[in-house]
Amino acid sequence: MSREFGFWAVVRREVLRMHSRPLYGLSIIFAPLFCFIFFTTLMGEGLPQSLPAGVVDEDNTTVSRSILRNLDSYQQTEIIKQYSNFSEAREALQRNEIYGFFYIPKGTQELASSQRQPTISIYTNATYLIPSSLLYRDMKTMAVMASAAVGREVLFAKGANLDQAMGFLQPIQMDMHALNNPWLNYNVYLSNTMLPAVLVLMVLMVTCFSIHTELKDGTARKWLSLANGNILKAVSAKLFPQTMMFSLMALIYLVLLYGVLEFPDHNGFWPMLVAAEMLILASQGFAVFIASAIPSLRWSLSLCTLWGVLSIPICGFSFPVMGMPEALQALSYLFPLRYYFLIYVDQALNGISLVYSAWFYVALMGFMILPLVDIALLRKAAKKYTYLP
Amino acid sequence: MWFKDMLDVSGKELRKTVSDIGVLVFFIVVPLLYPLLYAYLYGREVVREVPVVVVDDCRSTTSREFIRKSDATPDLKIISYCSDMEEARNLVHRHKAYGIIYVPAEFEKTLAEGRQATINLYCDMSGLLYYKALLSGCTMVSLDMNRDIQMERLSGLSDWEKDVMTMPIENEYVTMFNPANGFQAFLIPAVLILLLQQTLVLGVSMMAGTENERRRAGMVLGHEYDNPITVLGGKALAYLLVYGFTATYVLCLVPWFFHMPQLWQLPTLVAFIVPFLLASIFFSITISFFVRDRESCFLLFVFASVPLIFMSGISWPTSNMPAMWKVLAQIFPSTHAINGFARINTSGALLQDVRYECLMLWILTAVYFMLSLLIYERMYRSDKMPGAEFVIAMRTRMRKNLRVARRDIKTVSSRVEANLENATERIRSRRRK
Repeated sequence: MSREFGFWAVVRREVLRMHSRPLYGLSIIFAPLFCFIFFTTLMGEGLPQSLPAGVVDEDNTTVSRSILRNLDSYQQTEIIKQYSNFSEAREALQRNEIYGFFYIPKGTQELASSQRQPTISIYTNATYLIPSSLLYRDMKTMAVMASAAVGREVLFAKGANLDQAMGFLQPIQMDMHALNNPWLNYNVYLSNTMLPAVLVLMVLMVTCFSIHTELKDGTARKWLSLANGNILKAVSAKLFPQTMMFSLMALIYLVLLYGVLEFPDHNGFWPMLVAAEMLILASQGFAVFIASAIPSLRWSLSLCTLWGVLSIPICGFSFPVMGMPEALQALSYLFPLRYYFLIYVDQALNGISLVYSAWFYVALMGFMILPLVDIALLRKAAKKYTYLP
Repeated sequence: MWFKDMLDVSGKELRKTVSDIGVLVFFIVVPLLYPLLYAYLYGREVVREVPVVVVDDCRSTTSREFIRKSDATPDLKIISYCSDMEEARNLVHRHKAYGIIYVPAEFEKTLAEGRQATINLYCDMSGLLYYKALLSGCTMVSLDMNRDIQMERLSGLSDWEKDVMTMPIENEYVTMFNPANGFQAFLIPAVLILLLQQTLVLGVSMMAGTENERRRAGMVLGHEYDNPITVLGGKALAYLLVYGFTATYVLCLVPWFFHMPQLWQLPTLVAFIVPFLLASIFFSITISFFVRDRESCFLLFVFASVPLIFMSGISWPTSNMPAMWKVLAQIFPSTHAINGFARINTSGALLQDVRYECLMLWILTAVYFMLSLLIYERMYRSDKMPGAEFVIAMRTRMRKNLRVARRDIKTVSSRVEANLENATERIRSRRRK
């Protein structure tokens, strides 16, 4: 093979092209790296601590104060202010000073001691779903416990011991096991999918962009002839340096997640490394497929972008796929990230046998060979296209 | 005069927008369709009927009652009864079920002895909503059954004693502003605002990229208006006009189509959205200077949507963000607009409740206006984009050239005519001979 033609000649040409435009550096290195650092540090706490909450204590008795004191001692709740009435607290909620508040109406203690069942209320601002749910959990536990405390005192007075009292107050209790993420760590839950999602988005866009700029700038013929007119060789050589760069980025996030932050990765490094590498190749394959099918830079790039952005909600890590309309459930099979997510759940999170994930790896392979379907169209376009100034 | 110039620029910009299909896609088509897709995606708000499997080692009346009642909750759906944990785990691994309810063998016996009996729940943590469904579904059932059991045991007591012992203090829970406590009402307002900002950024950068491409090809000379403020104002006016319509559709009609909470009052909404649009417009103009050609805006700006939505604090609470990101978030209009709009739209906040966000949006408008003006001035002075004087000089020179050329043509043609006449004359004279 001569130096001027063939695979390595195209690779060398592509490296020079990438080097000459800062755009490639920004989108291959800066954008993913920024997101890696952003997401992992943003949720560094894992589970939000000391969420600001308020109280409206119209009762002002020993019972109400003990409830509030106990609530404040919860790790995730911090009572930042006491409001004198309900509307004040509601306004604070609307101003976003607090995510929720506890309302203890006047006469709570009096009613409780005279056995007339007072009601205490929990209000949370569900516009902010996560803090709202977390506050609710603490407040609900507190409310139930406050109630149980009163009941327990009565039982103790009747001569029951603690075991008997609890057996009476809560005959059936739930013991929840959050498998493999017992801390309910949001960083584990989100970053494991967010980081590859950003990478997929960039792979899809850069692949499509780099192929179509050849057509747009009128350099496609030269590119093709450099690869001895073999479109497969031309495309694979062109994408090779990008694959290398993206693989490096994938390696960085894998080391960051499973090495530095020590997120659960039960089957070791290799299954995830292979999955990430295959995810990149699958995304490149998908992008080449689109780039060949749609001969316009703008439209194919738009479609790739849409696919990349849609990957995030549709792969089902935040809102499960089973909760989506059926049409979208079917559509989710067309996104490489969906399979990566399923592999991650099996291999890293739950650490089950590779056999269970085999089909997901095969699906990713399917995306890799997808361009074979229509790459002839790209060859035609590359030969025919002449730049009109 | 300057006002007329501004309107002139505005008109030209509008014409450019309408004639450029790529920009039109960003300004009209994406805002038109994308929200519908998202609302469709999250339309069911919450996850119902999460498939779970049961391992019942007790097989007693109480355990069966518990299982039956769990199946009856809207949250859970029991898809299979397994003989042991191994079988159950296998179903979870094959993604057929997302949780396991395990009732230990001594469950009924422990209850009968008056001690606390435990039911074990195991949840697949690939999605937090599975966890939420399993926990809330089973907790509901257990609370319900606990009361029944207590009532049974207290059969010898009077009514008031039962009351004291079962629940001396009642509690109630109100999820304010998001009645279904669902995904749609929580995420869609943020997505809508971000969509407006991002499409503006993409559309404006695409136009700037096109202009740069043309300039490199020598097809554009420069601006014909002397004052950069008129150019900037004119462009902003054009975008504001387009986005007036787009924003009305996106922020008012889309939530209405999907029956989402809409508690805004018109004066508040308008007073809040106008500074948001202005800030976004000048923000877009400012960063569009970094775009070299038409399509690079995709690669440069699309990915930012993902961190931007998190920076707003709609998902991960702002109170728990590292200071670095909190500060960085302040420079993007979307951060303030998402927080403000979510509260105006979903919690019915008034302008005074969002005054901080509103103020920040006006400050950002001013900052980005100054920045873009600065860049315009610099470009005017450089030869990259020459200002009016240059254009006028160029024009007069071209007119002069044209005049010269016309004169030349005239002289040439008259000479040709003269020659022609001469020639015909000569031919005639020869014939006569």
